[in-house]
Amino acid sequence: MIALPAVLLFLVIAIYPLISSIGTSLYDQSLLRPDRTFVGFDNYTAIFGEFMARLGTTLTFATLATIFPVLLGVALAVLLNARIRGRNILRGTLMLPWLLPGVVVSFLWAWIFNDSYGVLNHLLTMVGLPEVSMLGNPTGAMAAVVIAKTWHSFPWIMVVALSVLQTLPAEQLEAATIDGATRSQRFRYISLPHIVGPVALVATLEFIYNFGNFDTIFVMTGGGPGDSTTTLAVSLYQLAFGSYELGKASAMGVLWLILLAIISSAYLLLNRRLEKR
Amino acid sequence: MSHGRDIGEAIVRPRLSIPGRIGLILLALFGLLPVYWLTATAFMKKEAVFALDRPLFPVDPTLENFIGFFQNDLLLQNLKNSFIVSTGTAVLAVLVGAFMAYSLSKFRYSGRNAIMFMFLIGQLIPGALLLISLYLMLSSVNLLYTYTALIISFTTFTLPLVVFLLKGIIDGLPDDILEAAKVDGLSRVSTMFQIVFPLIVPGLITAAMFAFMRGWSDLLFALTLAGPDNQTLPAGLTQAFIRDGTADWPALMAASLITSLPLCIIFILLQRYFVSGLASGAVKG
Repeated sequence: MIALPAVLLFLVIAIYPLISSIGTSLYDQSLLRPDRTFVGFDNYTAIFGEFMARLGTTLTFATLATIFPVLLGVALAVLLNARIRGRNILRGTLMLPWLLPGVVVSFLWAWIFNDSYGVLNHLLTMVGLPEVSMLGNPTGAMAAVVIAKTWHSFPWIMVVALSVLQTLPAEQLEAATIDGATRSQRFRYISLPHIVGPVALVATLEFIYNFGNFDTIFVMTGGGPGDSTTTLAVSLYQLAFGSYELGKASAMGVLWLILLAIISSAYLLLNRRLEKR
Repeated sequence: MSHGRDIGEAIVRPRLSIPGRIGLILLALFGLLPVYWLTATAFMKKEAVFALDRPLFPVDPTLENFIGFFQNDLLLQNLKNSFIVSTGTAVLAVLVGAFMAYSLSKFRYSGRNAIMFMFLIGQLIPGALLLISLYLMLSSVNLLYTYTALIISFTTFTLPLVVFLLKGIIDGLPDDILEAAKVDGLSRVSTMFQIVFPLIVPGLITAAMFAFMRGWSDLLFALTLAGPDNQTLPAGLTQAFIRDGTADWPALMAASLITSLPLCIIFILLQRYFVSGLASGAVKG
């Protein structure tokens, strides 16, 4: 009985909406009028092409915005695991980006990348390099949101990798040293296999979160220029609250949900396999 | 120094080579320079930022951007909304989540695993997927554009983290104490309030702060479910930013700093619990 409030909240606020969007997706429904008409799978055929295009953009963003923070986070964890002065202070301050709300991160990088007054172009000019228009062209805009997201999430990967590195048994490394393993061999054959599992898990989570990212892209580019950074989340928001097409937006959501189910199963399988180890 | 001479601690924590040091410095700069720029811009005068000879540090530091924030009624209202919604989320999430965690930790019943599974999967659902149904649902019960709408939405999406965090802590409570409470005739609810809660106060505070952070940082739900009057800071700032374009960067950076401050304070208070807390909620389930 004492579990009831939590379960109810969850069923009503998270599970029910997922199921009810299947219903909405079969209707021609708009925020602008109260009535709705049944249209079967028309919404699906209408948005399928768009869905595939947005899926491509989403996969590009989610993949890049996962790979870079993982590389950066693991590299920093390995470097911070060394004996250096001010290690704890550095580790603490490097958590800062992760603490900032997504909106703040987006404002900040939009300001850094600002064409006319941004500090990036200011610095480039100072050292005699040509200015770049990051947010003004499709490739630049994608790079910009990936950089912002990388900056936002590397600390989290770093902290996980670092805490795993610190559980590495010293005896194992010592034994390897006595057997003549060099530092790079110790890293390659002992430390790396030790952190791969947990990092893979966090990376999968990061990928799932990036797949649904809204803040970074909505604030920095609004999905543009053109639709070069319009991911599924941004597209769904625009369809529903920009064009008020609730039916079409729901159809897009349902297709997305099916995909998510596949990705989540992969995550659960991975989670189970790692827990068995 | 040859590698053969590395012993004990030195093997686990080796010294950094020169390339290693350079790498660390570069990566640390990538992490920290934007934070510097955020802070520096917030203390710059607007004219300085848009001048041809823009400085890279606040030559003539000013508080005008912060003062401007606290003189803006709309932003103050947003700030107040943020506090109300985030505090409400923290209180509700901890109350509901603690009962759930207690039940999962100390009782065995059918459906228990299914519930844990639901919570685990639940935190992977992107907000955008629920948006439309949530909007229609809240609108049909007249809760749209209210604090309540935001608080229950945020609470739901914080529950997995709160539940798994508290479950880990309650797992550590010895069963004898709870048995004794039962023998003494305490009901389950009184046991919670009189025995369990007082024993896990640090855990409750940690969970509350995580929930607070969730409500404080969200953009998507605040943008769609809060309406113009109950908007939190992230939503209010975003709308102003998109509407006015790039009118006043120093003011926006100052507002950003103010928005980030509560989270930084919470982090400093919670540092110890951060990794283990988040890991138990997000990774291991």
